[in-house]
Amino acid sequence: MELLPQEAARQRRRYYRLILLGLGLVLLAAILLSFWIGYFPLTPVEVVRAFLSRFTDQTGLRDQAVTIFWNIRLPRILSAVLIGASLSVAGATYQGMFRNPLVSPDILGVSSGASLGASLAILWGASNWLIQLAAFVGGVSAVTFSYLVSRKSAHSQILSLVLTGSMVMALCNAGVTMIKYVSDPTDTLQKITFWLMGSLKKADTEAFLWSALPMVVGLILIFLLRWRINLLTLEEEEARTLGIHVRRYRMILIFASTLLSAAAVCLGGLIGWVGLMIPHMARALVGPDYHRLIPASALLGGAYLVLMDDLARSVLTMELPLGVVTSIMGAPFFIYLIIKRKERD
Amino acid sequence: MGLEVEQVWGGYGGGDVVRGVSCRADAGDVLCLVGPNGCGKTTLFRLLLGILPLTGGSIRLDGDELRTLSPRELATRIAYIPQYHTPVYAYTVLDVVTMGRASQLSAFETPKAADRDAAFAALEKLGAAHLANKKYTALSGGQRQLILIARAICQAAKILVLDEPSANLDYANHQLLMEVVADLARRGYCVVMSTHSPEYPASVGTKVLLMREGQVAAFGPPEQVITPENLQAVYGIEIDVVTVRDRYGAPRTICLPVKRPCTPGREGTP
Repeated sequence: MELLPQEAARQRRRYYRLILLGLGLVLLAAILLSFWIGYFPLTPVEVVRAFLSRFTDQTGLRDQAVTIFWNIRLPRILSAVLIGASLSVAGATYQGMFRNPLVSPDILGVSSGASLGASLAILWGASNWLIQLAAFVGGVSAVTFSYLVSRKSAHSQILSLVLTGSMVMALCNAGVTMIKYVSDPTDTLQKITFWLMGSLKKADTEAFLWSALPMVVGLILIFLLRWRINLLTLEEEEARTLGIHVRRYRMILIFASTLLSAAAVCLGGLIGWVGLMIPHMARALVGPDYHRLIPASALLGGAYLVLMDDLARSVLTMELPLGVVTSIMGAPFFIYLIIKRKERD
Repeated sequence: MGLEVEQVWGGYGGGDVVRGVSCRADAGDVLCLVGPNGCGKTTLFRLLLGILPLTGGSIRLDGDELRTLSPRELATRIAYIPQYHTPVYAYTVLDVVTMGRASQLSAFETPKAADRDAAFAALEKLGAAHLANKKYTALSGGQRQLILIARAICQAAKILVLDEPSANLDYANHQLLMEVVADLARRGYCVVMSTHSPEYPASVGTKVLLMREGQVAAFGPPEQVITPENLQAVYGIEIDVVTVRDRYGAPRTICLPVKRPCTPGREGTP
């Protein structure tokens, strides 16, 4: 006998809840796995004992194990989780807001602005944390500029934002190229190039804690507003007649997404494709409803980036830039999306 | 009560498109907006829905001035039913209908069991509950139009605004939709819809607003408004309006565009 539609809807919700739970477990497993991957091998027992060493006396444990666990692996793994979650949530939000599944969190120029800020700071010979601050400020300024200019445009808000975003992006990229051109090739240029590659090498406890603050604020804000993003995927006028201030929500969501992406860039440099790819995978798992899509993207993105970082630091004897690894994984995925879209049309 | 439009002016930046329109509709009415392209039907809709600001006159919804209502309050009084569309993402029908509850939920709230029950109730009203778990994007045009009506019912507004609901529907689906509209009016909704065809108001409409160049050409019950003289004045072609009885004896009004036959021997005739 066929199920009542109400009962079928309940079953579907239960199924999605299980998937979310599953994703949470996958993330947890990815985190645990990552503790014993790396240049300096730690056995699972050592990992547990190093963790406990903060709370109880663990005699016979190597001092190095404790240092590596608390000062190197833990901040790095948590950074990867938070960056992955942030980029994915920002990507999912923008894909809804811009009503386009091929949008990435960079669309308003956040990464280019951050690169310009970081390059400038490196050129000036600033210290590490100043470089990170400059990246954050650069990213936020680029988006603010795109947003303010778009308000002067007579086109629809979505189109204006996309146009001003690409303009700001071009401008910032030109600035970065200019800085690279004038910088010392044996020192500054190398430093800029490495910074732009994207890596979690510089993610120590302090950097992690500072970047975590804006990321957590952005994640909470989007999590709270997540169901409303559904309404923004409709035509602007239609959404308005359903009773929401479309432009007000867009502004809040741009603000929150910018906090996420700018903080992610300042902690890990340019890590591409995650924000484009993960929301698609999450949509395939839990459907397009943002009520579930946002938590699913966060969990999946966190797990994905931790695993990619494990790859980056384990496939070769030397560490690969994380941005390169995510691009190698991301580009084929994008081609697959394009082909799939074509088949559907 | 219902919808009161008095001497309304409004339009886009370049000047007023709607110029001094007045009409009214109450619960149980189907008000049809008829007129050629560019006569201001869509602009009037945007004014009714609060999307465009009025430059003159007033619109009252259930007695309250439109400009004093917030978007949320507006959404609980007047609902917009667009032509069926293809959303960017493949939402289920239940997701789409539940979106109608946005005006009942605060910014941080997500739909609860009560909201889903309301969505199901709306679907059941239209006999579409069996579609609840299907993907909206996979439905036919007629079904999608029905789902958008369900969303408007779920929105709990008593005034429903339909924009050319039949524009992209095939013949049979169009008839079904007209029955749904008539049924909604019987249930106490105030339905406002625009249409290209002057025939439909004669069959489902209780009031007709005939528009021409942003102004009212005629307003009243269909039998007074849908006349050969009025239609010719608006459309610029000759139209006969005839009433016939269908096989069950019900009177039906039909509009026929006509053309004077060419007398042989005249220049340029076949």
